[in-house]
Amino acid sequence: MTQPPEPGSSTAPPPPEPGLPAYSGLADGEWHLMHPATPLLRSWQVIAVVLLFVVQSFGNDFIAGDADFEGPHVAGRWLLGGGAVLLLIVLAGVGLAFASWRATRFRVLDEALELHTGILFRQQRRARLDRMQAVDVVQPFLARLLGLARLTVEVAGGKESNVALSFLREDDARVLRNHLLASAAGVRYDGPEAPEAPERSTLEVPVGRLILSLLVSGPAIGFVGGVLVLAGISLWIGHPGPLAGSFAPLLGAAGMLWTRFSNGFGFRIADSPDGLRLRYGLLEQRTQTVPPGRVQAVRLSQGLLWRQLGWWTVHVNIAGYGGDDNDSESGSTLLPVGPKVEAVGVLALVLPDLGVRPGENPWDVVDAGLTGAGPAANFLTAPRRSRWVDPISWGRSGVRVTDQAVLIRSGRIYRHLDIVPHARTQSLGLTQGPLQRRLGLASFTMHSTAGPVSPTASHLDQAEASELIAVQSIRAEQARKASGPERWMERSGPQASGHLQQPGEPT
Amino acid sequence: MAGTLGDVFDADGVVWTPISPGLAKVRRLIAALLNTVGVVVFSVLAVLFTPWLWIGSALLVATFAWEWWLIGRQVGAWGYAERADDLMIRHGVMFRALVVVPYGRMQFVDVQAGPIDRLFDVAHVQLHTASAGTDARIPGLNAQEAARLRDRLASRGEARLAGL
Repeated sequence: MTQPPEPGSSTAPPPPEPGLPAYSGLADGEWHLMHPATPLLRSWQVIAVVLLFVVQSFGNDFIAGDADFEGPHVAGRWLLGGGAVLLLIVLAGVGLAFASWRATRFRVLDEALELHTGILFRQQRRARLDRMQAVDVVQPFLARLLGLARLTVEVAGGKESNVALSFLREDDARVLRNHLLASAAGVRYDGPEAPEAPERSTLEVPVGRLILSLLVSGPAIGFVGGVLVLAGISLWIGHPGPLAGSFAPLLGAAGMLWTRFSNGFGFRIADSPDGLRLRYGLLEQRTQTVPPGRVQAVRLSQGLLWRQLGWWTVHVNIAGYGGDDNDSESGSTLLPVGPKVEAVGVLALVLPDLGVRPGENPWDVVDAGLTGAGPAANFLTAPRRSRWVDPISWGRSGVRVTDQAVLIRSGRIYRHLDIVPHARTQSLGLTQGPLQRRLGLASFTMHSTAGPVSPTASHLDQAEASELIAVQSIRAEQARKASGPERWMERSGPQASGHLQQPGEPT
Repeated sequence: MAGTLGDVFDADGVVWTPISPGLAKVRRLIAALLNTVGVVVFSVLAVLFTPWLWIGSALLVATFAWEWWLIGRQVGAWGYAERADDLMIRHGVMFRALVVVPYGRMQFVDVQAGPIDRLFDVAHVQLHTASAGTDARIPGLNAQEAARLRDRLASRGEARLAGL
């Protein structure tokens, strides 16, 4: 294998092949290394930990040494030995990161992205671009300071099914993302760089609203309440034990709030021909691009505390994000908090045409799904006898099927509205327990990819549920046949431009 | 066969294929082995320490009888149907479930068989879609039937190939 040129060097640009558009930069089909600063960024944690350790132990030793002069030579030798070991650890860490950087290389082909990693255990990964589910440009705090970014291509393969290029120069990452999106969309462009798709209908979440929404959320109330109660108990018994003892759970609640705050900070969602563009993050900044037709399911939800404020939050299932590491909500939030109009507007970006009956206002249907109960707007509701198994939400849980999607609403206290487009249905399920059987009820489930949305309509009338699953399997089949190509720009018709049709504004 | 589960889990014109009775044999054998071990342990302890422990042995024998009957019912309740565009699977007696998996949504098919399964010529087929929630399992098919179903599902899936 020939030595790949470094991405930073501009000495010898490869000659463009005849007949093909002249891709410059990283998307030339050749092997490239990551940015040379990668090993430092990768191993800074090791270095920081060792440095911290050194400072701390040297400090202790000096303090101890001041008091004890009986064996200075021994102490000096120990220091020397310890220092050498630490130096070795740092060198080994940096060396390993450097070797790993040398072994990591990627190339961009017309149809695929290839990444080779590993020194001892080598891994070669090839992701087909037409199976791309989302592209993220992620900038952790340190990388941001250095002007670097990580490019992550998500494909639907469950856990850790992504190709992560870390780290590239920020501009390179952006240009490469545009190129990958153009390739995946089936667009050929002229010129050296892929043009960035124009953004439209931008929506931003003000910081003030975000902070207020976090203050009236469950973790915040729990945090404040917990502190007050425990402080009260501590004062009562005159011992700080209870407050100190429950430090860890309180810290957990605070951490949760902080994560939500930093992930919702500067949140911005926009629509472009390449799909949805999300941008957010306080320290670590993420830019996500989700191509059209990649959203598997949408959930609009509202907790009890937000009801007075009229706020909603929007989550989605996207194949590839779901199985990811820590929490299932990472990368799956389309709107951290917003009024109903904005939430429905975001829904309209995902699903421009709700497919309601002629003469029916889509807004009414969504509104009935969000806040309504009973059979309004043709919702198929759980019957009255289901109150024996679901005394609170029985009047609310229901299903509405339109030409394009299934709307499943549930929860009277914590309201949910789940929407699954027919073309994105994976499989369908019907379940019935012994109690439900006695009452003549059955629950209808739509299986979606891993993620925060799990649409289930509980306790429907069994005959209606049975009919629903029979009809729905046919609808899903038809929708799959009619759905557009994976390369979204190759479809014909007016929707190729990504025309956004709002499902009715409140009058 | 079709009428035993009631009308809700039975679509019109669907012919349900029962699974192999070999599965009942496999499960009963496993239950028998486990219960035998338990009975032996309890019996030895009863002889060594106190005759009260014979109650444990008696309970295990009674449990085995109940399991014998339950396994028969459960295996009898499993069924699948290959339709034009999707595969339907139903199972359960107390907690009943029905799954409809479109062929075009199938990502891969697993066929598994353990050592005891192979003694009774039984194999398990599982369909996987992009959703982890899809519980499309057909336990206990004849090995030939399992292979046939696997190939047929694969070819049908390919013919109706869809992305996500």
